[in-house]
Amino acid sequence: FLLPAILCLLTLLLPPLSRGAPMSPAERITQAYNLALSMQENMSTLLQTYLQAQGSPFSDPGFSAPELQLSSLPPADISFKTWNALDDGERLSRVQGAFLALTQHLQLVGDDQRDLNPDNPILLAQLRDARLRAQGMLGNVAAIMTALGLPNPRAEDTLGLVPFGASAFERKCRGYIVIREYGHWTDRAVRDLALFKAKYPS
Amino acid sequence: MMDIFLCLKQPSRMVDSKRMRMTSNFQWILLTFLLLYLMNQVSSQKKRTPHDLKCVTNNLQVWDCSWRAPSGAGRGAAYEVCIENGSHSCYRLEKNTKIPALSPGDHEVTINFGSSISKFTLNEKDVSFIPDTPEILNLSADFSTSTLHLKWNDKGSVFPRHSNVIWEIKILRKKNMEIVKIMTHNTTLNGKDTVHHWSWTSDMPLECATHYVGIRCHIDDPKFSGHKEWSNWSLLKNISWSSDSQTKVFPQDKVILVGSDITVCCVTQEKVVLALIGSTNCPLIHLDGENVAIKIHNISASESSGTNVVFSVEDNMFGTVIFAGYPPDIPQKLNCETYDLKEIVCTWNPGRPTSLVGPRNTSYTLFESFSGKCVRYKRAEVPTNESYQLFFQMLSNQEIYNFTLNARNPLGQSESTLLVNVTEKVHPHTPTSVKVKDINSTAVTLSWHLPGNFAKIKLLCQIEINKTNSVHELRNITMKGVENSSYLIAVDKLNPYTIYTFRIRCSTKPFWKWSKWSNEKQYLTTEAIPSKGPDTWREWSSDGKNLIIYWKPLSINEANGKILSYNVSCSSDEETQSLSEILDPQHKAEIQLDKNDYIISVVAKNSVGSSPPSKIASMEIPNDDLKIEQAVGMGNGILLTWNYDPNMTCDYVIKWCNSSRSEPCLMDWKKVPSNSTETVIESDQFRPGVRYNFFLYGCRNQGYQLLRSIIGYVEELAPTVAPNFTVEDTSADSILVRWEDIPVEELRGFLRGYLFYFEKGERDTSKMRGLESGRSDIKVKNITDISQKTLRIVDLQGKTSYHLVLRAYTDGGMGPEKSMFVVTKENSVGLIIAILIPVAVAVIVGVVTSILCYRKREWIKETFYPDIPNPENCKALQFQKSVCEGSSALKTLEMNRCTPNNVEVLETRSMVPKTEDTEIISAVAERPEDSSDVEPENHVVVSYCPPVIEEEIANPGADEAGGASQVIYIDIQSMYQPQAKPEEEPENDPVGGAGYKPQMHLPVTSTVEDLAAEDDLDKTAGYRPQANVNTWNLVSPDSPRSTDSSSEIVSFGSPCSINSRQFLIPPKDEESPKSSGGGWSFTNFFQNKPND
Repeated sequence: FLLPAILCLLTLLLPPLSRGAPMSPAERITQAYNLALSMQENMSTLLQTYLQAQGSPFSDPGFSAPELQLSSLPPADISFKTWNALDDGERLSRVQGAFLALTQHLQLVGDDQRDLNPDNPILLAQLRDARLRAQGMLGNVAAIMTALGLPNPRAEDTLGLVPFGASAFERKCRGYIVIREYGHWTDRAVRDLALFKAKYPS
Repeated sequence: MMDIFLCLKQPSRMVDSKRMRMTSNFQWILLTFLLLYLMNQVSSQKKRTPHDLKCVTNNLQVWDCSWRAPSGAGRGAAYEVCIENGSHSCYRLEKNTKIPALSPGDHEVTINFGSSISKFTLNEKDVSFIPDTPEILNLSADFSTSTLHLKWNDKGSVFPRHSNVIWEIKILRKKNMEIVKIMTHNTTLNGKDTVHHWSWTSDMPLECATHYVGIRCHIDDPKFSGHKEWSNWSLLKNISWSSDSQTKVFPQDKVILVGSDITVCCVTQEKVVLALIGSTNCPLIHLDGENVAIKIHNISASESSGTNVVFSVEDNMFGTVIFAGYPPDIPQKLNCETYDLKEIVCTWNPGRPTSLVGPRNTSYTLFESFSGKCVRYKRAEVPTNESYQLFFQMLSNQEIYNFTLNARNPLGQSESTLLVNVTEKVHPHTPTSVKVKDINSTAVTLSWHLPGNFAKIKLLCQIEINKTNSVHELRNITMKGVENSSYLIAVDKLNPYTIYTFRIRCSTKPFWKWSKWSNEKQYLTTEAIPSKGPDTWREWSSDGKNLIIYWKPLSINEANGKILSYNVSCSSDEETQSLSEILDPQHKAEIQLDKNDYIISVVAKNSVGSSPPSKIASMEIPNDDLKIEQAVGMGNGILLTWNYDPNMTCDYVIKWCNSSRSEPCLMDWKKVPSNSTETVIESDQFRPGVRYNFFLYGCRNQGYQLLRSIIGYVEELAPTVAPNFTVEDTSADSILVRWEDIPVEELRGFLRGYLFYFEKGERDTSKMRGLESGRSDIKVKNITDISQKTLRIVDLQGKTSYHLVLRAYTDGGMGPEKSMFVVTKENSVGLIIAILIPVAVAVIVGVVTSILCYRKREWIKETFYPDIPNPENCKALQFQKSVCEGSSALKTLEMNRCTPNNVEVLETRSMVPKTEDTEIISAVAERPEDSSDVEPENHVVVSYCPPVIEEEIANPGADEAGGASQVIYIDIQSMYQPQAKPEEEPENDPVGGAGYKPQMHLPVTSTVEDLAAEDDLDKTAGYRPQANVNTWNLVSPDSPRSTDSSSEIVSFGSPCSINSRQFLIPPKDEESPKSSGGGWSFTNFFQNKPND
């Protein structure tokens, strides 16, 4: 079942450059919005699969540790006033920055889980899917920024020197935070792109 | 220890004597004071001289002696110490003195201090040996393994001799220095300063709390006889983890053995509120500050991602992961073999799972000791219990390999070894590219590809040859191995024009394992000429002009290809005549021939060529001595035997046909070798019950001679028809019967005889039932002479109908029967006698009667035809007098007075039976209105009080029928006998008017005896049934007892249901019209009597 899912994903993720005719900003926004929705649909499954594989207490029903934070990930929480006041460029660049960090972090989480749960191919595949989707979102947001004529900031290495000496427990927690924040950022991206959809109707 | 000689014995004695004399309390107090005073005196005496000499040593070489200075001696006072040690030596010293170790034994020591002299006796036994306090050179910690490393110097150089040292090391934990462990460590002093190392692994991570270590020693010098004491504890050294104020949990990512214990701590400055192992809450062990620890006992195997241990502080969580698993099992079933002599593949089974995955999974290393090479197994992403395998490149010129497979994980390692000669462990790959090529029609070449370099060894290959509808054949081939992997062999002894399926597998010599079978390769071998001519026979046509030649198609093995056509030719001495080609499906040819001797030859042809000819002579060799024999088969075939005849040189032929067919008749033939004397003829065409003709021919010089002619059945059946038979002649006492043969088709076996049955019997009534049941009246004749066609049956009765039956039988059974009725002719003498005798008897009877009547004519007249009739003989009047005591109706329960009814005699006789009938029915149906309705219609009303009694009938079903089941007994005698015995009535019923007694209350269920006992009572009770109750039987009227009782008592009274028309209304009522006057007549009783 993984192959059709990946093929399906690729249609959403492929950078729009490969298309013959250039897409309008509205089309690009719709495409990014659809991708965000599909990411949102898969979120709870991914988090559930991940926590289930980490053992108790992570796998206990209702596990939640909001106190765990990762400084290398930008927080998705934002006050409504601030969020509402963001201009297009800032709004998109924040989403882009977050998904750039998420892409790198999801790669890291995938590597961590290959050590911790090498016998759980479903989890590894879902993490790979999530990373591909995050990359797709990154590409889509970049395409929107280009289409809207907004400056496209250069990609940075957000991960830095952080990860390599982490203990297994830290890696489990880190994975949890990354997936949780991935969900939060996906929710925020849906809202941001909905705003753009309204602003740039096709 | 030390003896001090002081002269103080006298005063003490005085004190004792004084005390002995004191008895009062005062005296006791005084004595106490005195004692104190004296002691003070002694003490002060003692203090005035050096005392309490003590010597210790820390190196056994120098004794350090000290004493107490006399009182008043100031600091720096000088003493002279003299020791008697073989020589007298004196030292001028201050308070303490170090003296060289003295030899064993007592030594006198004199200490002079001014004028006072103290003398001591000093012995080595009194000296204490207290080693110097050891000093920890270094204490270090390996936090990752929670191990403390201790280093110290034993300072052995100061000791003169080798001696054992016991080191005691104590571990203290936390700031309040709880002793965790005290352990000993033994070493030996060897005269040199030696640095010792000691390590200890803590059960608690060293980061969790400060650990302190102290050490002391005890030197056990065997030659020193004094006190050996522990040294003082060294200064404590400690190890602590320098926290960077971040909360941390220790140990991290620890891999431990399943079932072991582990302590996990959280170094923090926040208050830990909860500790969890997985989802289990754990009690906290408080350490210094806010640090806490938990202890996990007997940990169980972790899941893949490990066991989580979590410490929760107020707004955060910290944790660690513990991986509990097992050390690697010994690799099992290690096996090394090669597919191609280029690469060795070693496989093994990992054994028990370790529960450790990822980087903690078992790593395997295959080491070959002769070459010193090793191969490492890359860990599988997914651990499995399936076979692991490693490839090892073979080395040139090395055949024997000594493999050691080492398994290692963080908890330990294990290994397994195998010594193998690879040339004996060759498991070839599956042969591929199997190809077949023709050599000829019976041989092919088979080639295949077998990867590998087998140049140095021999291969053993197996070829499976499968032929359709045949068992498969295996051929083993040994061949030399080649370097280029291509192999080719010839496969012979095949059949032409046959589809073969080949497949190959190979092994090596010496045998180790077969490869898998290659794919199957199907191949059709080429055609060859037919191996023999067709099996041929000939028959002359019915007109004798044409010779019909038959042949059988060749079998696949003989045809060696597809038979396209046949060539038939006939040759005589003069000429050879050849017919045109006959194409395959036709297996028969007709040639017009004269009766000369010809040799017919038949040849089968396929695409490759012609078969050898089959030859047969057209004419038969005559045989006059021929008999027709019979034979019966075995159901599916028939066995024919014959005597050996040396003249028959070619073969024997048995041909057969259905005997009912017309000539030329040929169903099939069979050839058997000339040396045979029997054969079983089998054919699917054979049917049971059908007659076949079999002809046995012998062959010599291609000419056939008919030797025997046999008729036979494969199985005999019973005839399907009966023989037709007719009666040829009939007399008064005999019948001549003639019958016909049964046709062969319907006989269905060899006729063995006939069975003739006859019995007396009419056509309608007599049926020949159960002919075989051996009835005595049936006479049977078995005719086994099948040529007999007539039978005369004698001793019959004249003018009698006889039933005749005839049936044929074979060994297969009896045929159906055919029957006939014949009446024998009349016997005239008998008939005359039969007429004359009755006539004579009738005449005699008539004459006698006439004579009697004449003689008794007066009596007859008086009796039957009197001039004046006697009224007493009037039955009607008699009836009225005796009967009418009840009601006119038949309902016995009605309480009406019984008034005599009038009898009206009318002319309408035809109504009489109806009247009787109606009355009785009305009584049964219990419909009172019926009686009233009927009454006016009745012109003859007979007052009739039937003595009704109920009886329980044995049939319960009849009980349920209610009133219909009631049985009414009528004493007919009482109705009619009074005329004969009128005087008896009053005696029997003297109180007849005493009142009615319901007949329903009669004890009908009682026995006869009971009834008899009650008889008297009944007589006095008034109404009485009109019959003697004793004569009534409680059994059914049909029973013999009933009949007996009625016959004994000479009474017509008989129990009978009033429903029973048969009794009450005789069926032939109308035949006795005279009875209408009295309602009942004697004829009724006579006719009813059999019913009783």
